[in-house]
Amino acid sequence: MPDPASGPVPEPVGSTFGGTTMRALPVAAVAAAISAFPASLLAQEGPGLFDINTGLSLWALIVFLILLLLLAKFAWGPILNALETREQNIQGSIDDATRLRKEASDALDEHRLQLREARHEAQHIIAEAKEAAAGLGREMEAKARQESAAIVQRARREIEVERDAVLEAIRKETVGLALAAASRLVRQRLDAREDRELVNDYLSSLSDTAEGRDA
Amino acid sequence: MIAAALLQEGHGAPAHGAEGEGPDLGGTLMHHIVDAHEIEGPLGAVWHLPEWEPFHLGPLAVNLSPTKHVVFLLLAAVICGLVFMLVGRTARRRKVHEAPSGFANAIEALVLYFRDEVVRKNIGEGADKYTSYILTLFFFILTMNLLGLVPWGASATGNISVTAVLAIATFLVVEVSGFRALGPAGYARTIFFVPAGIPGWMKPVMLLVMIPVEVVSKLTKPFALAVRLFANMTAGHTLIFSLLGLIFIFAQLTFARWAVAGASVTATTLMMVLELFVAFLQAYIFAMLSAVFIGLIRHAH
Repeated sequence: MPDPASGPVPEPVGSTFGGTTMRALPVAAVAAAISAFPASLLAQEGPGLFDINTGLSLWALIVFLILLLLLAKFAWGPILNALETREQNIQGSIDDATRLRKEASDALDEHRLQLREARHEAQHIIAEAKEAAAGLGREMEAKARQESAAIVQRARREIEVERDAVLEAIRKETVGLALAAASRLVRQRLDAREDRELVNDYLSSLSDTAEGRDA
Repeated sequence: MIAAALLQEGHGAPAHGAEGEGPDLGGTLMHHIVDAHEIEGPLGAVWHLPEWEPFHLGPLAVNLSPTKHVVFLLLAAVICGLVFMLVGRTARRRKVHEAPSGFANAIEALVLYFRDEVVRKNIGEGADKYTSYILTLFFFILTMNLLGLVPWGASATGNISVTAVLAIATFLVVEVSGFRALGPAGYARTIFFVPAGIPGWMKPVMLLVMIPVEVVSKLTKPFALAVRLFANMTAGHTLIFSLLGLIFIFAQLTFARWAVAGASVTATTLMMVLELFVAFLQAYIFAMLSAVFIGLIRHAH
C-alpha cells in the first residue's frame, strides 16, 4: 500500500457506528476485515458508504411506485392477459383435439361393429339360402322318386291286366282251337259235353302249371 | 474505457486530500462508489447537478437535489418503463392466434417463469395479485444493477438508501398481505405467538420471550434484503476498481507494470462477466425472497 494513512483504524469505524463496548467486538472484526482497504474509505470527511440520503430514498420510493403502477397497467397486465388467453387457447385446442380423437375412435369402433354384424348377417343369409336350396332339392328328388315309383307301379299294374286279358284270350282261343282239333279227330266217338269237361280240366291244370312258373 | 475513466479520476483524485506520491486510490474508489452531485462522462467530461435546499419533514431533512444515483435511478425507471410498456403494447395488439416472436417473446418467457415458478409456487392461493409487484421489483433492480456495469454508469442499487426503500416496500407488502390473508386475530398471532400445550402460567413468560423474537424476525428479513443487494453491488464495483487500481499501484515498476496491467485487465474482464451474472442473480434473489416472505406470512401457523 503506498498510502501512508493505511493501518489499523478502529477509531473512525467505531465513531461511524456510534461505538459502545457492546459493539466493540464486531466492529473490531469489521475493521480488521477491511483494514486492507485504503484508509480513506473509512475517513470521516466526504460522503460515506452507509450514509442514508433521505432525498434519494424519497426519489426511489416515488419512482418505484410510479413505475409499479405504470408497468402493472401497461406492461404486466397486457402481457399476463395475453399469456393467459394463449394458455386457455392452447388448452382449448388440446381439449378439442382430445374430444375429436375420442369421437373418431368411437365412430371407428361403431363402424367396425356394424361391419362385423353385416358380415355375420350375410353369412347367415348365405347359410340359410344354402339350407333352403338343399331342402328344396331333397324335396324335389323325393317327389320325383315318388312319381317315378308311382308310374312304375301303374305300368306294372297295366301290364298285369294286359297279360291277364291276353292269357284269358289265349285260353279261350286255345280251348276253341283244341275243341275244333279234337272234334275233327274224334268227332264221332266222344260225347260233346263230357269231352268238353275233360279238355277243360286238362287246360286248367295247364294254366295252373303256367301260373306256378310265372310266379 | 473504465481504465480511461480511472485515469481521469486518478488525476483528479489528489484534490480529495491524498498525501504521498501515488494516486489516491481509496479516495477515487469512494468517489466512484458513493453518491455525488456530479456525473462523469467520456473524455473527462463532468456534469454538475443542481443542488437544492433541503426541506424538513419533522426531524427529517430531505434533500431532493438530483445526485448521480438519483439520475441513474430515473434512467433505470425510464428504460424499464419504456421497454416493458412497449412489450405490453405488443402483447395487447397481437391477436391471440398470432405466434409470439422476438424480444417480446423473450420477455413473455421471463414473465411466465416468474408467474409460475416464483409467484405462484411461493405464494400459492391468491398469488396472481402479487405478480406485478414481483415483476416490477425484478426488472427495476436488474436495470439499476446493469446500469452500474455500463461505462460511466452507476448503480443506484449500490446505495443503501435505495435498497432500503425497496426492502421497506417489500416489508409493507408482506405485512399488509399477511393481515389481509390471516385477519386481525391471525395476524396478531404472528407477533403474540404462544405455542399450543403451554401451561397457563408459562404463557406470559413465553410471550415475553417470543414477542421480541417475532418482531426481530419480521424486521431482519427486509434488513437482510437491503444489505444483501447493496453489499453485492458495492462489493462488485469495489473488486473491479481494486483490480484496475493495481495498474496504478505498480505504475512505477519498469517492466512488471505491463505484466500487472495485462493480468489486471484480464481479471477485470472476467470479473465484469461475473458481475453481469451477479446483477441478474441479486435482482432475482430480491424478487424471489419477496415472494417467499409473502408466501410465508400468508401460510403462517
